[in-house]
Amino acid sequence: MIPLNWYLGLSAIVFSIGLYGLMSHKNGIRMLMCVELMLNSANINLVAFSSYNNDMTGQVFALFSIAIAAAEAAVGFAILMSIYRMRDMINVDKLNILRW
Amino acid sequence: MAMENLAFLIPLLPALAFVLTFFLGKKLPSGGAIIPIVAIAISCIISLAITMGLLQNPEHVVTQSVHWFAILNLGILIDPLAAVMLSMVTFVSLLIHIYAVGYMAHDPAKPRYFAETALFTAAMLGLILSDNILQLFICWELVGLSSYLLIGFWFHKPGAAAAAKKAFLTTRIGDVMFLAGIVLLFSDIFTVYNGVLPEGVYVLQFSEMFHLIPELVAINSTILGMEVSHLTLVTLLFFGGAVGKSGQFPLHVWLPDAMEGPTTVSALIHAATMVTAGVYLVARTFPMFLAAPDSLIIVAIVGAFTALFAATMGIVMNDLKRVLAYSTVSQLGYMVLGLGLGAVVGAEAVGISMFHLINHAFFKALLFLCAGSVIHAVGTHDMRQLGGVGKVMPITFATMTAAALALAGFGIPGTSLGFSGFLSKDPIIESAYLYATETGSWMPYLFAITAAFLTSLYIFRLIFMTFTGEARTDYGGHESPSSMTVPLAILAVLAVIFGALTRTSFYHFIEETFVHMDIEALAELGGYHLAHHGHEPLLVLWMPLIVAVAGLVIAYLIYNRRVVDMSSIVSRNNPVYKLLYNRYYQHQIFVEFFSVKIIYEGLALAGYYSDKMLDWLVNGTSYVLIEAGDSLRKFQTGVIQHYAAAVVAGVGLLVVLIKLVMEVF
Repeated sequence: MIPLNWYLGLSAIVFSIGLYGLMSHKNGIRMLMCVELMLNSANINLVAFSSYNNDMTGQVFALFSIAIAAAEAAVGFAILMSIYRMRDMINVDKLNILRW
Repeated sequence: MAMENLAFLIPLLPALAFVLTFFLGKKLPSGGAIIPIVAIAISCIISLAITMGLLQNPEHVVTQSVHWFAILNLGILIDPLAAVMLSMVTFVSLLIHIYAVGYMAHDPAKPRYFAETALFTAAMLGLILSDNILQLFICWELVGLSSYLLIGFWFHKPGAAAAAKKAFLTTRIGDVMFLAGIVLLFSDIFTVYNGVLPEGVYVLQFSEMFHLIPELVAINSTILGMEVSHLTLVTLLFFGGAVGKSGQFPLHVWLPDAMEGPTTVSALIHAATMVTAGVYLVARTFPMFLAAPDSLIIVAIVGAFTALFAATMGIVMNDLKRVLAYSTVSQLGYMVLGLGLGAVVGAEAVGISMFHLINHAFFKALLFLCAGSVIHAVGTHDMRQLGGVGKVMPITFATMTAAALALAGFGIPGTSLGFSGFLSKDPIIESAYLYATETGSWMPYLFAITAAFLTSLYIFRLIFMTFTGEARTDYGGHESPSSMTVPLAILAVLAVIFGALTRTSFYHFIEETFVHMDIEALAELGGYHLAHHGHEPLLVLWMPLIVAVAGLVIAYLIYNRRVVDMSSIVSRNNPVYKLLYNRYYQHQIFVEFFSVKIIYEGLALAGYYSDKMLDWLVNGTSYVLIEAGDSLRKFQTGVIQHYAAAVVAGVGLLVVLIKLVMEVF
């Protein structure tokens, strides 16, 4: 049986890659993918703990978070699509329209 | 009986006429004058009917009262005092309205004129029949507003606009004092009841005020080291309001300037409405004055001084209307003096003062309307350019002479034979003599008798300069239309005989107003010793007539026979003439000293401080807030990575904190 630490290590690595990508990239779509990576690292943790404890709760949580991630990705893509139509680019550095 | 239930219509009909004339006047002939004339005529009939009813049965006072707020009411009180005023105001106002149809015939703004005079009359009638002092104050302010509108009727003339402003601001000083008096009285009544009012008590109702007089006298406070009864303060503040409205010294300055309005307005203000309001206020609250220590003495001194002071200025004026204006101020001084003499004669003071007020209303309205008739015909009111007008305007001349004889006071002492002014001024002067013998203060008597001499002098100077001799300029001229001369004739008849007709019954009727009050006890509260008319020396009885004849003869010799060359006396080098002609420099003192030097520069100084200190505080506060907001705003970059970094840093911080907390506890 693979020890729990390995799962946690993998999850930490995937989360760090996602975080790094989110903070360093300017392309909106890449940033969305990085967010997915971070969510999935959390899912790895949930599933690992679930099987380690023989408790189904973690896996149910993981299913929930996958479903929410899919919905969030759909909304995120829709926003990026409309930004692209308006401005012909998705460089988030230039998209500081959230500020007043 | 039915008439009394209609009492509320007396002020309401002219008020309605104001609205109707204002909106419909343009579509009706002669500016819709018919609406106020009919309305006031009906008011006049109701007033006269109520007065007749009261004459039959003085006990039957009309009272109607409606709840307003919990402790205030809105009501009507028509006792003998109010009834004579109502009858006089409606009647004189009616005649002036009819006269104005002719006088204002060529003015394009007639609807506005008739609407405003109707409002003026309505406000004055509302003031008279108020049964509480708050309602009286509201109408008091309405009267002030109407006078402002009417004095400034020809507002395109800078002089008229300035005069209206002056009238408004000057009387406002008095109004503020009046209001302060009401507030003080209000709080005193609460003090008397320890803040808990019994059911059904309306705080500012006259009956309630009079009922509480003994308790109110007892409330004292110390001002500048002197124990002053609150009742004295309240009455003096009320009198301050009367000083403003009734043109007593030193707030009389607005009255001569009020000549800038149409002459009919002057007649209305000077005879029937505005200026009588102050005298009426003091008469209405007379029991309080009688119970207040020292109040009546101040009233008498102010009245006597005003009577003489204004008369001295009357003898040098060259403007027809201005002479009459100073005459009004002087005669109002007599009325106020008459009230002040209540310190010696008790409630009779209200009778003699009101008698003079009513008679004065008739002959002063007549004088102004005659002056208006002259101005209407010849187009000038400078007496130096007139002369000989009597030949072309015989009716005006005759009625004006009757009014002048009434004003100067001709009659036979000791009988009821005489012009009305004589019969009403004489009791005031006689009472002033009684006052002098009782208190040893001769100032009111001497001032009153000197003013009587000057009155005769200035009014006959006016008559001789205007109506007799040769015309000094080519002014044309013609007799006025009958809509103007008929009111003149009616007023002339009243000015001549009204005093003689009503003399004996009038005092008795007015005294019925105070029949339920113990006048002796009230005077004792005020510390006055009432006296009764004894047998005045014959000289005292004849003195007013002697000075009146002397004034007539001197005026005749100087202005008709020209035995003295006035041009040598009337020069700018004569210091006395200069002082009088410049009206004691009051305008300069008031405008250049008080308002410009003290108030205006005081405001400028205050403005400097507000610039330097207040503005700095206010602007500083806003500056700090704007800067703080601006620096906070910079955190919101709008760059998503920055937000993500903030989230990560926050989570990191949270983890560290949780770890720390777990380690420590």
